[in-house]
Amino acid sequence: MAEASVKESVKKEDWLKLKRKSVSDPGFDETVKNLTPEKIEKAVNAVLNIGKNAGRFMAPLETCIHCALCSDACHWYLSHDKDPTYAPVAKVKMTLWELIKRKGKVSPEFMKQVARIVFCECNLCRRCSMYCPFGLDIAYQLGMVRRICFILGLVPQNILDQTHSLSATLTQLWITQADWIDTMQWQEEEVRADIKNVRIPVDKEGADVMWCPLGTEPKVATYHIARTAKIMNVAGIDWTVSAQDGWDSANMGMFIRDMETMQRVVRGIYDNAMRLKIKRIVLTE
Amino acid sequence: MYDFIKDPSLYNFVRGPLVWVAFIIFIGGSIYQLRSLILLAKKEKVVYPYMDLKLSLRSLLHWLIPFNSRNWRLRPVVTTVTFLFHIGLVFTPIFLLSHNILWRESWGITWWTLPEGFGDIMTIIVIASCVFFLLRRIFAPEVRFVTFADDYLILAIAFLPFISGFLAYHQWLLPHKIMVIVHMIFGSLMLIAIPFTRLGHMLYFFLTRAYMGSDQGYRHSQDW
Repeated sequence: MAEASVKESVKKEDWLKLKRKSVSDPGFDETVKNLTPEKIEKAVNAVLNIGKNAGRFMAPLETCIHCALCSDACHWYLSHDKDPTYAPVAKVKMTLWELIKRKGKVSPEFMKQVARIVFCECNLCRRCSMYCPFGLDIAYQLGMVRRICFILGLVPQNILDQTHSLSATLTQLWITQADWIDTMQWQEEEVRADIKNVRIPVDKEGADVMWCPLGTEPKVATYHIARTAKIMNVAGIDWTVSAQDGWDSANMGMFIRDMETMQRVVRGIYDNAMRLKIKRIVLTE
Repeated sequence: MYDFIKDPSLYNFVRGPLVWVAFIIFIGGSIYQLRSLILLAKKEKVVYPYMDLKLSLRSLLHWLIPFNSRNWRLRPVVTTVTFLFHIGLVFTPIFLLSHNILWRESWGITWWTLPEGFGDIMTIIVIASCVFFLLRRIFAPEVRFVTFADDYLILAIAFLPFISGFLAYHQWLLPHKIMVIVHMIFGSLMLIAIPFTRLGHMLYFFLTRAYMGSDQGYRHSQDW
């Protein structure tokens, strides 16, 4: 019975009949159970109201002539035998235009579809902007849809978890300050097997370069730290790493448009650079 | 009905006040729309700091030359038709002989004029291009997927002044005087529609292109 009533409310514009492999992610499947149309409407309108005051958001809405010349830019479109539903403009149509048209009055199931499109079928690489004759920032628009999904919690679980970690500890993978400093000292010993008396200078004031690794490096790929230390030493660079939180450059908040965490991560890095009087910040990636 | 259309007062109204209204709405509306978009962009922290005149002009020039950008080269037919269509659409009305005669009769001003046959060819190109865009909307799958009713509407708004002007010039279908009135109404309609529909892409092109050119140029990336 429940299934039948859902089917009735499904419109053609819900795009539920697209040929897609199902994406099973607790971030989508579990969150969608707690969503109500009221919550969705509130989140959509909150973001769209911000968008109304943003030129980068409004200009593409008023300019796009629906020519679909952006499609050749998209690796999703090309790798799916030019399936029109993978074209950049098609993704905007199935998500943002539809949300605007219905003023946010959509079903949770539709929102799940939207989340899958913006998270699992678009990388926000901005290549489409290089193909658009108008240079419209299509990725920015899909990023705003990601923001709506983030506010609703409809985010792939592992990215959401890492963003939570960043917001709590300013590191990607729940690394404590003690662990971080300990890892640096341990890797210093490791590198000394190859280079005599080498240092990994922690918190050295006035160094030229501050290196900001990703959280994955101290957590699961420590050999990256050793290699970086070797390169820096052999190249004779005056470098350091920050001992205080704000050394992690893995900005997961940026990907899901959690602007608040995103800003704190960037700010943490700049604060440390100011504190240590650094000339240049070097990031992994 | 026929008497009403034949009445010179209708012609005088269409030629006088209607054109005035159309031009005032077109110019005023365009300035208003551009101004509001510029003010919106000013409110954003990340637009103005990136804007750069040199990079903007580089990007505009890059895309205004046919077959210069990668995407223009990938689709030679679309590129050719697009450029011919837009050149015809913008410049034919400005330099057409019949239009220039009206300007001289009204205000006594003159400027360059296209040869009559050339103006006719440009009009035919615009009409044919409209048909091409219509067929592309219907048959190209990626375009059909993102086509709405208003896409056909704005195509019709661009199409009607040219087809009616063409028929009026050749004195086909309707008596010449009526066709001219129809042509003027459609022309005014298009002018009025430009600032308030997505035909405004004509105005916004320069702003959005300048932004993306500056934004990418700031990161030392070339236009593709």
